[in-house]
Amino acid sequence: MSRGAIVIEAAGSTDVGKVRAGNEDSLLVDLDLGLYGVFDGMGGAKAGEVASQTARDAVLAYVTANADQLPPMDLVENSLLHACAAVFDAARADRSLHGMGTTAVVCFVPEVHRPRSAVIAHVGDSRAYLWRQGRMSQLTRDHTIVAELLSRGMISVEDAENHPYKNVLSRNLGAKFEAAVDVVAIDLRAGDRLLLCSDGLFGFASNEGIQYLLGSGDAAADVARDLIELALRGGGGDNITTLVIEAGAAPASNTQVVRTTGAASWWQEQPRFVAAARAQGLGRSPLCRGLPPEEAIELVAGSFCEALFHDLEKSTGVNVWTFAQNLGAGWLDHGGDWSVLRAVLDTLHAAAVEVVDAIRVEERRLASLLDIAVARALIVAELAVGNLLADRLRGVERELVFLHAVAAAAEPHGESGRLPFSDDPTIPFLRSKRGVSTVGLDGGLDGGLDGEEGTTARAVREVLTIARAAVPSDALLVQRSIAALEAIAVHGEDPPAVIAEARELYGMRTLDDVGLQPLFEALERVRLLFTAAVHQTRHPEATKARALRLVSTCHQRLVATVTGLLLDAVAPATERLRDAQRTTAQLRAELERLERRRAELERAALGPGAFAPVAPHGEDTVPVVWDTPPPEDPR
Amino acid sequence: MSELVERVAVLRDEVLDVSGVGASDACAEIFEAVLSALTLGTESIAGIDVTVQDSVARRLAWGDSESQLLADAEWLFDRLLIACERAFRDHDDQMVVIEAATGVSVMLSRALARHAVARAARDRASRLREEMAQRQLLDAVDKQAQRIAERERELAERAGEARDGDGLTER
Repeated sequence: MSRGAIVIEAAGSTDVGKVRAGNEDSLLVDLDLGLYGVFDGMGGAKAGEVASQTARDAVLAYVTANADQLPPMDLVENSLLHACAAVFDAARADRSLHGMGTTAVVCFVPEVHRPRSAVIAHVGDSRAYLWRQGRMSQLTRDHTIVAELLSRGMISVEDAENHPYKNVLSRNLGAKFEAAVDVVAIDLRAGDRLLLCSDGLFGFASNEGIQYLLGSGDAAADVARDLIELALRGGGGDNITTLVIEAGAAPASNTQVVRTTGAASWWQEQPRFVAAARAQGLGRSPLCRGLPPEEAIELVAGSFCEALFHDLEKSTGVNVWTFAQNLGAGWLDHGGDWSVLRAVLDTLHAAAVEVVDAIRVEERRLASLLDIAVARALIVAELAVGNLLADRLRGVERELVFLHAVAAAAEPHGESGRLPFSDDPTIPFLRSKRGVSTVGLDGGLDGGLDGEEGTTARAVREVLTIARAAVPSDALLVQRSIAALEAIAVHGEDPPAVIAEARELYGMRTLDDVGLQPLFEALERVRLLFTAAVHQTRHPEATKARALRLVSTCHQRLVATVTGLLLDAVAPATERLRDAQRTTAQLRAELERLERRRAELERAALGPGAFAPVAPHGEDTVPVVWDTPPPEDPR
Repeated sequence: MSELVERVAVLRDEVLDVSGVGASDACAEIFEAVLSALTLGTESIAGIDVTVQDSVARRLAWGDSESQLLADAEWLFDRLLIACERAFRDHDDQMVVIEAATGVSVMLSRALARHAVARAARDRASRLREEMAQRQLLDAVDKQAQRIAERERELAERAGEARDGDGLTER
């Protein structure tokens, strides 16, 4: 219904919930009068239902009769007092209804007021909320014992949550002949939404959920129904009643524009998108091989266009993600190359840009929003494909580790006792060219050793424990180095374990002083720590010496392997320089050959005996050609 | 300590395996660094560091590779520990030598690593210069090829004109 400049729309819904047998809530929606209300009745048998309906009828009758005679705030307050008396009288008149009562929250939006205002009155714990520009605020304060105690600072919020009288009302309509009514008036703005509801909603649905639905931009009737659905999903332990009052349409947000106009515009441009993808050479992509070109283009470009349309509609990225995952998985499963996939994504991007540019001609703002939405969708697609690659990389690593284990089982110790490489996951994926000779005790520290070796193993463990305890908690690199040292001591007879530990320790460090200095400082610190720790133990000197020798050897292997990895990592720089030098030399030779050839031609052009200078290397000087022999030197 | 240094110095031939591989100046450098560490004490990091840096610089100047140096250090480390365990009854002496050898090993590795990354940085810079030179050379090659083509065309035209002037045009 139209109310001056602001069009008021309202819709309500009520549901018995999942636990109660009957619905004791009542709903009042009178668009002509501008009167709305929610009533939550209480009392045995059918008393609650009677109470809420009696109050509703009384309020409606009173406001209808007195709307033109009283100021809105007095009108609404008096209507509730009138309703209170009506319920009280009804309970006194019928013994079976004795003790019945009802809550009430009533909203009156008078037609005559400019600008539009709303008067809200309530008794009990039915609530009114205002949603304005993305934020929701509660307009009413519950009339419960606990809320009263809380407002007086007599209990804490935590106590209130668990209070035995949490749901006991301090006020209602019908328990007494009169009740204190709270009244509040607010000015309405375009886009505001008011929600009146019974405790069956906010008792079983989160504030965030309620706020999200109020701000969804859907029609009031849909929101009212969705709110009930929300409470039902939250348990539906009570009757649920919701009433949504919408004060005109708010200016559409960017999200809404993209979801509605943007999505529609995009879908209208589908033929243009497919044509652009075709023009960009999508049909020639190896990814489309094996299918007729048109079908392949429709399959890739058409599906992407449709996925993006659905994502625009819902402000999600699920459809584009699924599209990219399916496309990428299919291609990679058939041994496809990553670069082809990359090129297809670029093609789709270029086609999307073309479509958005076409939209920009007529709707500049919309195109700007679509620019962002399309960029976001393509990032989602790239993430999906990246995710696929990461999965495959992990799979390859697992297979390599498995193959390595099989090879190790077949030939546990080859001629040299060294295995070709280790493939524990790490970054960078360096493979040491340098072998590692075995260290430590046979069977390692965990080998269940007896006698001298067992004593040494225990001493080593003690040394490493003391060293670890001396490391500050923030010295992560030192801690990590000690852990690596311990792992090497435990698996000392397994060279790949040493390489794996060194590689993990080196990690993602840069190949420069900044990368290596902290690491070597940490390794030196570890050396000092375990040396000191050896002297702190109470073992005999011989055991200490053996323990120090073992730990020192492990440390030496660790440091040397780290250094070896680093040497391997920087080696390509030298190789690439040599390649570049070879290429330069070839180019110089080629240039010299061409210069000679050009000189020959110049001589041929001038005839026998002519003089044609050759341009120096790399200079584009035009050779001087004399028609006559060069002048003689006057000297 | 000086007595211990002398006793370790006595082990030189055994550690360097002179009877097996002959006098090796290469590994001797590292052995000298360990002796310096024993002389200076492992607390004098700066002194040992300079000694180790000298050893590394000399070996690399001789043309040895960093990997070779690293392998030599590990070989010497293992042999020194074995020799000490055999030669020294006093476990404290053994531990002092192990500490010195480990300290030298860390320093040598660090020196090698720093040298390697510095070399890599130099190589990267040199490669950049090479690539810039290649771009210039490619330009020059293109231009020369273009001029050659022009000159060949001119010569061909001139030859045609000469044939026309002599009345030798084919009929």
